[in-house]
This record gives sequence, structure tokens and C-alpha cells, in this order.
Amino acid sequence: MMGMLNLVLTNISRKPATRLYPFEIREPFKEFKGRIVFDPGNCILCGICQKKCPPDAITVTKADKMWEINLFRCIMCTECVVGCPKDCLSISNERVKTGAKETVKVVVPIVDKPKAPKAASK
Amino acid sequence: MTTVIPFGPQHPVLPEPVSLKLEIDNDVVVGALPSLGYVHRGLEKFIDTKDYNQTTYICERICGICSALHGITYTKAVEKLFDAEIPERAEYIRVIVGELNRLHSHLLWLGLFADGFGFESLFYECWKYREEVLDVAERITGNRVIHSISKVGGVSRDLTKENIDMLLKMCDSLEPKIKDIEKVFVNNYTVKQRLVGLATMSKQLAYEAGTAGPTLRGSGNAIDVRETADWDIYKDLGFKTAVAKEGDCYGRTKVRIDELYESIKLIRNAISKLPNGDIATPIKGFPTGEAIMRTEQPRGEVVYYVKGNGTKNLERLKVRTPTFANIPSLLLMLPGVRLADVPIVVLTIDPCISCTER
Repeated sequence: MMGMLNLVLTNISRKPATRLYPFEIREPFKEFKGRIVFDPGNCILCGICQKKCPPDAITVTKADKMWEINLFRCIMCTECVVGCPKDCLSISNERVKTGAKETVKVVVPIVDKPKAPKAASK
Repeated sequence: MTTVIPFGPQHPVLPEPVSLKLEIDNDVVVGALPSLGYVHRGLEKFIDTKDYNQTTYICERICGICSALHGITYTKAVEKLFDAEIPERAEYIRVIVGELNRLHSHLLWLGLFADGFGFESLFYECWKYREEVLDVAERITGNRVIHSISKVGGVSRDLTKENIDMLLKMCDSLEPKIKDIEKVFVNNYTVKQRLVGLATMSKQLAYEAGTAGPTLRGSGNAIDVRETADWDIYKDLGFKTAVAKEGDCYGRTKVRIDELYESIKLIRNAISKLPNGDIATPIKGFPTGEAIMRTEQPRGEVVYYVKGNGTKNLERLKVRTPTFANIPSLLLMLPGVRLADVPIVVLTIDPCISCTER
């Protein structure tokens, strides 16, 4: 009986174990997998990230030069980060904010200009 | 004359939906009939659309609480298909994450159990300690509950020096706290009044009913897959099976508390023996053949059967989860129990319905 009483009495003098959430926000750990960050600079639109993605959250459209991620579908497995041959993808420890847009669309700048006319000539 | 009353699928002690039709005479249960199928998601069929690497993440999502060990068991089963040699460091990291998983699962269960018999402050106390374990797990793996650390061929993240210090610090701070709550669970008069002699299963009956995990060990059977199955690493780490002779709810609680100490010991031993080297070997090609892997989850023994047919998708994945084995024992335990004690008895098998139905 005394065991629990001791615990309860010490808890009265301790500060709460919880935080007043919206006013007091704990900084995410630096190791935390928060969201995928895409840097379109080196992207070659190879589509490996799309193939590796288990929940099909990433869509790469070559015709529109568009890279899309559905943040609500992403499970932070980081398969795409490991698989990317050009290291365009990285992990940020920032959480996806409440009320964020479901999809993030990034237009990839054309890297290899001579390739476009070749494709057209075919 | 008997009356049939429904227990669940929505009930305050049940985090997940399972329905029991209880046949009661006055307020004593004389029979129980379970009905399952509320959270069936068809995950075993769903793997047809994913390749064997992606299936790891599906297996981890079979259950939220024992997710790490689902992932580890699946990856180990697939590695058997490839006859792959996995770096020792990866195996040790898997053990550490698996034991962290067990720590948080048992602390969660102890809390829910305390809540089940109306001991709210003990419930909060257990969940407060669980948060410490989750913080460490989050810093090691990057995710709070579904760790996603095991992949086919090894692990995806290495343990840094900082992680190891953090783990040791957590072990040192958690041990005295568990001793505090152990005193309450084991010695407290009120708790003992509710638990001792409730839903007793004899050693023989528990074995014959095919129970698994702490339910089996709470009846005096020293059977733990960590000691007996083909994952040798636990033998090197000085693992000892926790057993209680009582066979009642009190015994099953004691086993789980002892397993908390055992997990802390295993984490410490794994860190002291942690070898250097790679954390993953590249695996090429597609799996063929069949393999079975068994590991001990927080709730008991899980069996994974995988069959490859030389394509990137597995032909068959079959999971036998511990709760599936424990539900028949629940039906054997319930007759003779008073209606007010049914929630506690249902909780002592640590039911994980999402696991069972997949």
C-alpha cells in the first residue's frame, strides 16, 4: 500500500510529465524522420523514387516535368532517399504542419537540354 | 437459466474491437463465444501488389505495438530464402530495437491492465515510463512507434555513440522505476484481491490449449522462442525465460514485469557485445522456395511463412500471431469467472486483434 502512496505523494510535488501542447511545443529530435525534402536541382526524372515507394506516395510525370509527393500517404520509410541516384531527396526533422496541403508539387528544371530535341526527332 | 450478453466490440477496456458473447448464470460466466473480423484488412493478399522489400513495411503495419518484431521476423524469413549472411552488428541492433519494442509494449499493457481494474494513478505511472522508452526509440530509429529499422539484408540505421549512451542512461533510469511499480503490482492488497486466483489455468491445460507468450509462461511452462528457436543471438546474450507458477492473472502480470527486467538486461548485454562492422549486406535477385521464421513478440510466439516464386512479389505470406493462439485459452479461462472480472481476464492475454485479423 505504501509503495503507491509514496509514488502519488512525490508526484504531487513534481512538475507535470505532460506539456501544455499548443503553447509549449517540444522541438523534434534531430534524428526524427519528419518529412521528405526534395531538391529539384539535380533531378533527372528517372522515377526510381516512385518505383521504390511502398505506399505509392510519389508520382513522377516526365511529360510535365513534375515531381509530386502525397504527404498524407508518405510513411517515412526513406526508401526513396536511399534509392535516389542523384541525392535529390533528404529527410528533414520538421513535422508536417497541421492543415498542410496534401500534395506537394515541384516542377523540375530541365537539366539536359539537348535531350529534348532528340526525343522530338524520334 | 442462462442469459447471453454481448461483451464488445466496443468496450472501455478494449482498445481494439473483439466481440464475445458471454453466457451467464446469475453473474458467473458459463460459456463464451468470440466473433472476430472487425478489423480485417487483407494484408496477406495485399502483398501481391508490392515487392518483397516493400512488404517489410506492410508487415510492420500489421500491428502498431509489436511492429518492430513483425518487421524483423519478416525480414529474417526472407533472408532465409536467400541464404544471406547478415552482419552481426545488424542482428544486435535488431535485438536492441526488438527489446525496446517489448519494453514499451509491456509498459503499455501494465498501464491498460491497471486501468482495467480501476487503478488510474498506476495507469498514468506506467504510461509515463513508456514515454521515456518511446523517446529513445524515436531517437534511434527516427520513428516513434513504427520503427521501420529492419530491412531485407540488415538494418537501415546504425547506432551512434550518442545513441548507446542514451540507451544505457534509459536502462539505468528505468530499472528503479520498474521496481517501484512492481511493488504495487505484486504486493498491493487491492491489486492482489482482484488478481490472485482469477482465471487460473493449470500448466498442462495451458500447454495443451496451445497458448503462447506470457499466458503460457504465467502457468509455469518455461517456453520462450527466444531461447528455443533458430535465432541464436539470444543465447549469447544470457537470456533467461521468465516464469511464474501461479497460472492466474497475478502470475501473468508477474511474468510481464520480469520480462521488463529481462529486456533491460538484454539491451545492456547487446550493447556491451555490440560488434563493429557493416549494418547491411546488399541482396540481389528474387526469392525462391519456402521459409518459416519464429520469434517471440511481446504477446508471444509469431510465425511467419513466406514462399517465393522467383519474381519480385512473394507468392504467399502467412502470419500466425500470438493472440490467435491465445483466444482459445481465453475461452477456457472465462467459465467460472464473475462478469465484473471479465475485462481483466480478457486483458491478461494482451489481446491484439489487429494482429489476429491482419
